[in-house]
Amino acid sequence: MLNDITFGQYYPTTSFVHNMDARAKILLSIAMIVAIFLANNFYGLLLVTAFTIFVVLLARLPLFRVLRSLKMILFITIFMTVFTVLFGSKNDTVIAQWWVFVITYQGIVNAVFIILRLILLVVTTSVLTLTTTPVALTDAIESLLTPLKWVKFPVHAFAMIMSIALRMIPTLIEETNKIIAAQKARGANFEKGGLIQKAKAMIPVLVPLLVNSFHRSEELANAMDARCYSGSKKRTKYKKLVFSYRDILAVVFVAGLITGIVFLNIPQFANMEILRQILNLFKVQVAW
Amino acid sequence: MQITATELSYIYNKKSKFATTALDKVSLQINEGDFFGIIGHTGSGKSTFVQHLNALLRATSGNLKIGEFNLSANVKKIEYNALRSKIGLVFQYPEYQLFADSVVNDVLFGLKNFHKEMPKEEQERAVKEAIEIVGLEYESIKDKSPFELSGGQKRRVAIAGVLVTKPEILILDEPAAGLDPNGKQAIMELLHKLHKSWCKTIVIISHDMDEIAENCNKIAVFHGGKVLLNGTPKEVFKEAELLQSLGLDIPTTAKLALQLKKQNIDVDCDLTVEDFVQKIEEKLQLIKRGGLC
Repeated sequence: MLNDITFGQYYPTTSFVHNMDARAKILLSIAMIVAIFLANNFYGLLLVTAFTIFVVLLARLPLFRVLRSLKMILFITIFMTVFTVLFGSKNDTVIAQWWVFVITYQGIVNAVFIILRLILLVVTTSVLTLTTTPVALTDAIESLLTPLKWVKFPVHAFAMIMSIALRMIPTLIEETNKIIAAQKARGANFEKGGLIQKAKAMIPVLVPLLVNSFHRSEELANAMDARCYSGSKKRTKYKKLVFSYRDILAVVFVAGLITGIVFLNIPQFANMEILRQILNLFKVQVAW
Repeated sequence: MQITATELSYIYNKKSKFATTALDKVSLQINEGDFFGIIGHTGSGKSTFVQHLNALLRATSGNLKIGEFNLSANVKKIEYNALRSKIGLVFQYPEYQLFADSVVNDVLFGLKNFHKEMPKEEQERAVKEAIEIVGLEYESIKDKSPFELSGGQKRRVAIAGVLVTKPEILILDEPAAGLDPNGKQAIMELLHKLHKSWCKTIVIISHDMDEIAENCNKIAVFHGGKVLLNGTPKEVFKEAELLQSLGLDIPTTAKLALQLKKQNIDVDCDLTVEDFVQKIEEKLQLIKRGGLC
């Protein structure tokens, strides 16, 4: 039932991207996202796309793993494409028109932009989670949130909570499956009835799950206590985050990318004359 | 009811790249009246197998017949409720599945699911019987929250929750795991009591070989999704070397018999402690009478 939830989808291999510092990866992913939205014409977007493909290749990730993450945005992509393409404004360059549907040149351009941006967004974030272990990720977040310590925000506790929560997800899924099986053996039916009945049927699963979670957290807290864990003291790290030449190189590349996009955004550098001509051809055919 | 599995196979995540064969053409027969023991490593397929007996998992291929129920891979429609009320399955650490506000309501859960039309008084009687047969006092415990009971009591309540429909076959996955020696003994005594009264057939999974040798009349050894050995404890534990090479333990009695055999003393016993001691005493008598000492 819950087997298809994958979390912490780290793909173990060694590559330039895998070996980068997790903090750099987070910050550069954000920079990439900015770049994706900054690009306001095809040439800019093409540049970001090329760069993203380059990063995926550099990370030595199998293509199907990267593409699998696109599955979750499949529906929203189709939905948005259909709407943007079919419901254009009549004030734009109309290509075809039928009943309430208006297909415009601008609509198609917008749709392509939306699809490309969505895909690039998901691929970029997937590269981050595929090349970084959850532990490294939380460590990096802790490190990046350090400035918040000045306003007395418990950064370390926050990071600890996050990593424990991440760690417990598979355990909880396994336990949920077990309890579901046990209650089924006692005749519980999770498929029958309407929404309310189905929700009621979940009680025999949720109660033990909650009770067991409390037990487990108490045990974990005791175990941590027994090993003298204290979040307030300055703790050393088993795996230290260190910036290396890779990170500097990556920063230079991404900075180059953003500069490139800013340049391409200037109309003199790039206009959409070529595309307009292609679409004009299309328009002629439809009219004919 | 007799359980007959023929070439039963089960593959996890059948269509994905991570497909793993959990059961590989398992053929096994469990007769009515058996106190059947299943042993094997974690991941040997024993838990997967017992979940098939309750139709919680359906075979990928092969045949499985339990009494009048046909659970073979090609059968689509199954009377789940009828099946599951007749075949009780107690999971490992069943006390972690208690959920209701009182012991009565928790035990009642299965009954309500299986026999909705049953009158209230009858339901109450069935719950009372189930709680009493697991050795708890009905009046004093019925309104307590299951969460305020001791570990052993919780497990009894959980077992009562399965027993409440009076299953003909009772399957237990490591019923004594995590209990102290007294608790273990008590659970085993309970199972024998049930075997004599309510449940004609009992199937237990266990890692404790002494427990198995002491209580079961038939054993199956699972390894890598296959049934490796199958027979009486005496037959199975004769293969001590094979079992030990797989990293499985053998009962203490079998170990002692093995040591004695090395000294050329052959003890032919059925591996329960009682029988073993008796056979040794007989041997001693014989030796004394023969004046060999």
